[in-house]
Amino acid sequence: MRAVSDQGGRAGPTVRGGVAAEPAALATRFVEALHRGGVPAGTDRAARFATALRLVPPATRDRLYWTARVTLVADAAQLPAFDAVFAGIFGDDTPPVDLADTRGDPTAPPLPDVPSETRPTAPDDRPAQPAPPGAGAGTAGTGGPGGEPRAVPALASTTERLRHTAFADLTADEVTAVRHLVRRIALATPQRRTRRTRASRKHGERIDVRRTVGNARKTGGDPVALVRRRRRRRPRPLVLLCDVSGSMEPYTRVFLALLHGCVSGGRGVPGARTEAFVFSTRLTRLTRPLAGRDPDLALRRAAETAPDWAGGTRLAEALRRFLDSYGRRGIARGAVVVVLSDGWARDEPADVAAQMARLRWVAHRIVWVNPRKAAAGYAPKVGGMAAALPFCDAFVSGHSLAALDEVAAAVASAG
Amino acid sequence: MTAARQGSDPAVAAAFPDVDALTAALDAADYVVDPGLATALFLGVRLPQPVLLEGEPGVGKTEAAKALARALDTPLVRLQCYEGIDAAEALYEWNYPRQLLAIRMAETHGERLAEADLFTRDYLLRRPLLAALEHPGPRPAVLLVDELDRADDDFEAFTFELLAEATVTIPELGTVTAAHPPIVVLTSNRTRDLHDALKRRCLYHWIDYPSPDRAAEIVRRRVPDSALPLTLDATAAVDRMRGLDLEKPPGIAETVDWVAALTLLGVPRLDATSADAAGATLGSVLKNRDDLELVRARGVSWLTGAGRV
Repeated sequence: MRAVSDQGGRAGPTVRGGVAAEPAALATRFVEALHRGGVPAGTDRAARFATALRLVPPATRDRLYWTARVTLVADAAQLPAFDAVFAGIFGDDTPPVDLADTRGDPTAPPLPDVPSETRPTAPDDRPAQPAPPGAGAGTAGTGGPGGEPRAVPALASTTERLRHTAFADLTADEVTAVRHLVRRIALATPQRRTRRTRASRKHGERIDVRRTVGNARKTGGDPVALVRRRRRRRPRPLVLLCDVSGSMEPYTRVFLALLHGCVSGGRGVPGARTEAFVFSTRLTRLTRPLAGRDPDLALRRAAETAPDWAGGTRLAEALRRFLDSYGRRGIARGAVVVVLSDGWARDEPADVAAQMARLRWVAHRIVWVNPRKAAAGYAPKVGGMAAALPFCDAFVSGHSLAALDEVAAAVASAG
Repeated sequence: MTAARQGSDPAVAAAFPDVDALTAALDAADYVVDPGLATALFLGVRLPQPVLLEGEPGVGKTEAAKALARALDTPLVRLQCYEGIDAAEALYEWNYPRQLLAIRMAETHGERLAEADLFTRDYLLRRPLLAALEHPGPRPAVLLVDELDRADDDFEAFTFELLAEATVTIPELGTVTAAHPPIVVLTSNRTRDLHDALKRRCLYHWIDYPSPDRAAEIVRRRVPDSALPLTLDATAAVDRMRGLDLEKPPGIAETVDWVAALTLLGVPRLDATSADAAGATLGSVLKNRDDLELVRARGVSWLTGAGRV
C-alpha cells in the first residue's frame, strides 16, 4: 500500500464508491501506520474504514477511535497495539474508554516499544538449522524431505542407538535427524461419542424417522428399509503444554518438533483439534505459528512469538493462565492434555496443586511427560512435580524416541 | 460482497442517519450501549457489513442482536451453532411427512400428482438462514449467528459464503435472492480461532464488561422496582468480584438476578445490616463453590467497599 498525497490533484483516483478524498487519504495513512505498528489491515479494510468515516464523521476523537477500531481491528489480541498506534497519532490525553485489554486478552502481544525482559529468541540452535531435504535419510532410511503425506509409525526403521539415546545426549546432526522423525509422530487421542448422530444402515440405537419416511417416497410411501442413527464418534481434542524454560532446554528442541508435527499435520488423526502452548515465565499459544508445513519456518515463527525461551519456570502461573484464558472457554474441555515439563518451578507446590486440580476438572486425561524421570534414582518427591503428580493419569519420560512411544500410548489410552 | 456494495436499505438509512439515532433507538428498546458498540452496530447496519462480537460470557453479545432487532422493529432470526450443525439444520429441508401425506391423499382421491407439485414452497421447511434471506421486509431481518466458534470450520465457510452473496440455490426451486439482505450479527466465545477470510469480511467489536455506573443503568432497566442505591452497590460489588481470581466471573445477567433477588427480599442497599441477605443471595451471582468461598471469606464489608482504605 502506498501513502496517498492529500493534494487535490492526487485525490481523484482514490475516490471509490463515492468516498470523499479526504477520508480515503486519512484511511490509507492510518492503515499504513497500523501496519508498521503490527496491526495488519488490508486494502479492503482501509476502504471500509474510509466509507465508515463518511457515515460517522470523525467529529470527536472518541468517534474516530471507535470507527477506526471497529473497521480495522480483526481480533481482541490486536487491541493493545492498535491503541498504541492510535494514541501515537491522535494523542492520548483523553483515553476514550477503559480499553478492552484491561481484562480482555492476556494473549495480546506486548506493546511494540516495550522491551521484553527476557532474551527474545534463541537463534543459536532451534530454528537456525535448515534441515536439508533428506537429512534424516542417512539414519532413518525413509528418505524424503518430510513431504511424506502420512504419519509414519515406523519408528523402528531408525537405528536402535538413536532410538534409546536421551535427546539431551544427541549431537546436533542427530538432533536434526531425530526431529525429522519426531515431527511425524501422530498422537492419536481416544474417541468420544458426540451428541450428533449419523445415519447408519445396520447399527444404531434409534430409528431415523425423517430419513426413513424420506426414503419411503421411492417405494410408494411404504417404509421398506429402516434407517437408523448412531452416535458419531470423534477423536478428543489434544492440548500440548510444553515447558521451554532453561532446565528443559536440551529437550525442547525435540519436543517442539513434536508440537509442530501434531499441530501442522493432524495427520492420522482426522478431525482432532490440536492446540499447542509453550511456557516458561509466561504462557504463549503457538497453535497458529506452528500451523504451517515448513518446519523451519514454523519454528522460527514460534521463536518470535514466545519471548521467554529458556527463562525460569512458573508452572502454576502458566497453568492458571492457560485455564483462565483458554481451558475453561472450551479448549481443554474433554481433551487429552499433555504437559511436557520437568516440574522444576519457582511456584509454591500448593499453587501447582490448586491449578492441577482445576485442570483435572475440565480435562479428560492428563499425561505428564518428564524427561528427568528416566534418570537413575529419580523420584518425584519435591516441589511442583510432587504436587502435580496426584492429578495425572499417566507419568512418562519421553526422553528418547523409544520413550515417545510410551507418550503416544498414554495419549491414546482410553483411560 | 454484493450486499455491501448496494449500500444499506433506504428505509433503514432514513431511520438511522447517525450513531446517535441508533443509540437512542436502542435505548428506547431498553438496551444501554456504550459508544463503541453503538458505532459497531451502526456501521453494521449502514455499510452494511456483518458484525462479529466477541467478549467474555455474559457481557450481552446475544442481547445486542436482540435489541438491534427491536430497535429496527424487524424480526430476529437466530441460528444457534453447535458442533456438527449442517445445512439441513441451518438452511432448509423438505417436509417429507407432509409430502407423503399429499401423495396418500391424492391416491385416495384418485388424482395424479406430478413431482413438481411436491417440491413447492409449501413443502419447504425454512431453517434460520433461509428464513432470514426470505424475510419480505419492509426492513431487513436481523440474523444472529450465535456462538459460531462452536460450529465446524467448513460450516463457518458455508454460512459465510451464503451470507456474502445473499442468495441460495435450491435445486428443485431455483435461486432465492434476498430482497432485503439480513443484517448479520455473529458472536463467538473464542473457543477457537475463526477463519481469517471471515474476519476480513466482518466488522469486529470486543465487548468489555460495562462500567459499574453503566451496569447499574442496565440493571435498573431490567429490574424496574429496584432501588438506585442497591443497584449501585451491587454493580460496584460485582466489579470488585471480577477483580478476584474467579473461576466464572459474573456477567450482566448474574448481576440482574442478584439485584432482583435482593429487591425481592426488601434489601434497600448493601451494608452491614444486610450482610445476611447478601450472603444468602450470593449464589445468584457466583455459580461455583470455590468462587463463593473466596468471596465469602472476604466478607460483606469488602463487597461494599467499606473495608477499603
